[in-house]
Amino acid sequence: MIEPREQAAPPAPGSSEPANGTVPPPIRRIALDRQPTVALPPSQDAVAIANTSDRSLAAARRPARGVAGPERMRIEGLNVYYGNNHVVKNVSLPIRQGEVLALIGPSGCGKTTLLRTLNRLTELTSSARRDGMITLDGSDIDSLEVTEHRRRVSMVFQQPNPFPMSVFDNVAYALREQGAKRPKKKVLEPYVIEALQRAGLYDEVSSNLDHPALRLSGGQQQRLCIARALAARPEVLLMDEPCSALDPKSTNVIEELIVELRKDLAIVIVTHNLQQAYRVGDHVAFMYLGDLVEYGQTDALFDNPKAARTRDYIGGAFG
Amino acid sequence: MLDRLREPWTDKRAGLLLGALACSVLAVIVFMLVFIAIKAWPSFAHNGLSWFSSKGVVDQQLDAMVNSGANPSSAEYQLGAWPLIYATLLTTCFATIFGLIFSLLSAIFIVEFAPLWIRRVIVPVVRLLAAVPSVIYGLIGILVLAPFIGNSVISADQKSSVQFVIPLSGTSLGVAIAVLTVMITPIMIAITVDGLHSIPRSWKEGALALGVNRWRAMWTVTVRAARPAIIAGAVLATARALGEAIMISMVAGSKGFSPNPLDGLLFFFEPVRTLAATVVEDAESINAPAMQASLYAMAFVLLIGAFFLSLGSWIAKQPLKKYGTRS
Repeated sequence: MIEPREQAAPPAPGSSEPANGTVPPPIRRIALDRQPTVALPPSQDAVAIANTSDRSLAAARRPARGVAGPERMRIEGLNVYYGNNHVVKNVSLPIRQGEVLALIGPSGCGKTTLLRTLNRLTELTSSARRDGMITLDGSDIDSLEVTEHRRRVSMVFQQPNPFPMSVFDNVAYALREQGAKRPKKKVLEPYVIEALQRAGLYDEVSSNLDHPALRLSGGQQQRLCIARALAARPEVLLMDEPCSALDPKSTNVIEELIVELRKDLAIVIVTHNLQQAYRVGDHVAFMYLGDLVEYGQTDALFDNPKAARTRDYIGGAFG
Repeated sequence: MLDRLREPWTDKRAGLLLGALACSVLAVIVFMLVFIAIKAWPSFAHNGLSWFSSKGVVDQQLDAMVNSGANPSSAEYQLGAWPLIYATLLTTCFATIFGLIFSLLSAIFIVEFAPLWIRRVIVPVVRLLAAVPSVIYGLIGILVLAPFIGNSVISADQKSSVQFVIPLSGTSLGVAIAVLTVMITPIMIAITVDGLHSIPRSWKEGALALGVNRWRAMWTVTVRAARPAIIAGAVLATARALGEAIMISMVAGSKGFSPNPLDGLLFFFEPVRTLAATVVEDAESINAPAMQASLYAMAFVLLIGAFFLSLGSWIAKQPLKKYGTRS
């Protein structure tokens, strides 16, 4: 299942057992060398759903899945401290390819910190400490070069943060930085267009790729950030409340996109919005004050929460 | 009258009063420009465009003005100020380029790589250095650097090779550039550090999350976005270098000489005198009308130079606005 990605075989969704450890982790080359591994999202459908106000249609977006995909990342006994502040307490979670893991919980429960730890961005905070094990395809993430790790495990932030450059330069940024010598614009163009198409933004910006990214609307900016991340062909995509700064329509477009991208990526999404977790998540993890309270299939967790704290939180939000 | 001022100010009154203040600043500048232009006119009128060229020895021309009478003849207005302009351009450009490179790299270190305790020490020190009076730098230049260059760096052979053209003593273009660079770098570092700090952290994190290392993220995103601030710092420092008089007159050798780039390394050991330094040094002879007009003419050229500097920085910032960088 975890084939070297150069072979460009898109993993058949829903197939097979986790083959962890038996296959060496994929070797990454410059992203330009690789074939795209994801089919284009059916953009008409996305627009159709975005245009509808029928919540049941939107809620029905997540198709039921039979078998879980292979495990790409695993968190084992993770603790994160900021100074003396114990923010994430002994959390263990699997992150599987081909599905969306939604992290929910009240503010300050450590879900964003957990997400940033997966990308090793917490290391930028000098007071942050971490223990416990995080593996990517079976190997400890600390054994990887940090830049290499972040290329494979990319992140989309809460506030859209496109660089102050043109749309094209934003998407081409990672590609340019990965190559040893700067590729020509002509060479990059198909990759940029493809990333924009995957993020469902291409139709809106195709007339002028030289448009300043900061003049796009908030939803467009966020999709641009997703395109920017996708251009580097990550294997895991972390999303930190990607819709919290957006209007419902843009939110819809992005949720649709997440479900679409799941085919080829492992996606972890942090969200405040329980309906969103229900709509896009295949598995949901509920965190409270740094503890992982409950983890399970989305339907099971929402319909039949085992822990009292989960029940209260979900009940409070839904009831 | 005073009672009326004690009442709360309406916006209209505040606007009028503050507007009058701002306009008075403008009026002073315009008055200064016109006054200097009128005073400088005889020098330009008698020399024409050759004022900006090199003709004869500029120091001899200035000496002749000192000795000229109350009604100087046209010949006594004779001045070819190119060596002074050339010296001003050389010192300013070299110091700005060196300062820009050095300050940008230092600022990146301070903002991105320095441990917290170094940052806590270095930033106040840099701000202090930016406030040191230039005469102190001049003192160090003339007491330490110039004798060292004159005694230890320039060999006797080199001195004798040009002894009939220009005596080399140590006070020189090179010392002036070095001291000027040290003088303007702190202010550039301070402004660049502030500029880099003002760039949203989220941009840097966005770059890092794409698997770019901190140096590249700094260089390709943060520095790129901070270019307007870097330009602003460079312009401020260039203006300071352009107008620096006392320090340059101490360390540059005070000779109206045009260093020749063909002399190789000796180029930097040859003495010069800038426009501002000339104004300071010859101000005591200002009673001679020819000298007075010449000094006003130099002041006018400096003023226009500063104006074009501002204009240049404004033009340089225009293309950066398109993509929404901070200004």
